[in-house]
Amino acid sequence: MLILIQLVWIAVDPRGMWLHAAAAGMTVLGIVAFVVIAPLWRYRVHRWEISLTSGPPAVYTRTGWITQERRIVPISRVQTVDTYRGPLDRLFGLANVTVTTASSAGAVRIEALDSDVADRVVAQLTHIGAIGAQDAT
Amino acid sequence: MRLNPRMLLVHPVHEVLRQLPLVIGSLVFGSATGNPWWVVLALVLTVTIGVLRWFTTGYRIAPDEIQLRSGLLQRKVLSLPRNRIRSVSTDARLLHRLLGLTVLRVGTGQEAAGNNEFALDAVAAEQVPRLRSVLLADSLNAPEQDSKPGRVLARWHPDWLRYSPLSLTGLAMVLATVGVAYQVGAAGALRDSRLAQSGLDLAQRYGAAATAASAAIVVLAASVSLSVLRSLVSYGNLLLRRDAELLHLEHGLLRVRENTFDMRRLRGGTLREALLVRAFGGARLDAVMTGVNGVGESSLLLPPCPVATAQTVLADLIGHPDAASGPLRGHGPAATRRRWARALLIPATLAPVGVVVGAPLWAWAVWAGMTVGCALLAFDRSRSLGHRVSGGWLVARSGSLERRRDCISGAGIIGWTVRQSWPQRRAGLATLIAATAAGIKRYQVIDVPAELAWSIAADASPWVAHNRWAQD
Repeated sequence: MLILIQLVWIAVDPRGMWLHAAAAGMTVLGIVAFVVIAPLWRYRVHRWEISLTSGPPAVYTRTGWITQERRIVPISRVQTVDTYRGPLDRLFGLANVTVTTASSAGAVRIEALDSDVADRVVAQLTHIGAIGAQDAT
Repeated sequence: MRLNPRMLLVHPVHEVLRQLPLVIGSLVFGSATGNPWWVVLALVLTVTIGVLRWFTTGYRIAPDEIQLRSGLLQRKVLSLPRNRIRSVSTDARLLHRLLGLTVLRVGTGQEAAGNNEFALDAVAAEQVPRLRSVLLADSLNAPEQDSKPGRVLARWHPDWLRYSPLSLTGLAMVLATVGVAYQVGAAGALRDSRLAQSGLDLAQRYGAAATAASAAIVVLAASVSLSVLRSLVSYGNLLLRRDAELLHLEHGLLRVRENTFDMRRLRGGTLREALLVRAFGGARLDAVMTGVNGVGESSLLLPPCPVATAQTVLADLIGHPDAASGPLRGHGPAATRRRWARALLIPATLAPVGVVVGAPLWAWAVWAGMTVGCALLAFDRSRSLGHRVSGGWLVARSGSLERRRDCISGAGIIGWTVRQSWPQRRAGLATLIAATAAGIKRYQVIDVPAELAWSIAADASPWVAHNRWAQD
């Protein structure tokens, strides 16, 4: 869409070519960053784990690329486990799992899991989460 | 069951007040077109709608749920299971009080707003204790059973008015009045009036600067008196009382509001000190409670009041005086450098722009003033930054213009997030975010050294300590 805007701009106001060249250059850089660099970087950063062995069972994820976040949530506080498959995800056989808690800031998202791994994760979480009778707030 | 018949008197008045812009608009319209019947029509319509509200509203208390039926054109039934009732609060405006009525609001621990709020407008004030015990019978031990009156935590004192002009509400009210005046068309009339003419004459005689200064002083005085008045009316007679498991807050001179909080829902408190209020030694206290909206009036426990009072009340509520007012651990030189860098960013970017554009001398004077201001801001921010974990309570303090000290119970923390932006990674810092179901849902400990972040989380929540991921 940015390219469209820039083309229209060039057509309407062709003076000051250097400005157009600068804008075009920035768009190209942006495309390179988001299409090539970001996914590779994200792939190296993203991790997830359901820890069962040490301590209380917990879900852990690591996300981001320029800003990175590590999030840990104990399964005893989990309230719902959702799976989401968009059209692109279905094309590639992937699924996104979202674990929500009583806090809006405590939702854990595991993105782009293989479909069968996602199903296994959901089953595991709901099985462990069902044991235990607290309010989870 | 119908609501109290005396509401037939109250509803029309409140409806007219609610539709005041419309009524004023019809007044203006009527005088413009020379037809006085518009005003009469508008008034009759508003009064009729007000009266109809009484006829179309009814409530019912059944063994397992309570229902409220309302709506003029669109019938709406709101039903609430009785075992979900968590709080009953009352609210009485001036007209209600004159007629001995109160509005009763039932809360379920979920934030309900506007149309989804279960509000009985209004019932006779004598019925309130009975209704309250009936509604809360299923959830809590009925509060009327304990006849001992509990402990008063804080009481309003005229001293507290000292802090009210230090907020912007007065100025906002003045601006709002001006806005309404413009909308209604009164500003046009004012402009052509003799007041404006005499004002212009004065301006010509004494010069623009003096007139502007005196106008500013008038506006300032008006806004100060309006804030003080508003604070007096809203918070006069404030009483914060703690019974065994209940926290009882009532306040207001004209419109008396009463709120009961279940102490089991309390997950901590926040002391908020705006810069000016802090300069005069004040603070306000907000409760961090599940099911209560974290920002705004609903979680307010104490308006701006002397800081010692607020700290004592907080210490009493959470049972931990150190958390409320004890010393905090600093975050080290890297965090201080980052606060300075962030505050001085704007002056630093403006300086080259000014040089390139060739700004005049007065602009540089303004820039110098702004830089000094930003430096002071940075200094204050770096001093405020701190945290502490003691006795299962996480205390985090940050900010300068609006400094906040959050005391959060470790048991109420649901999950932890450690967040590092790219500049933070390079400086070896991280922001620790505690997710809770209460208050504003996320409480940040800003710019802690990265290697300490997880150990802070482990201190506050023991389950983190056992987890091997918390060590990386």
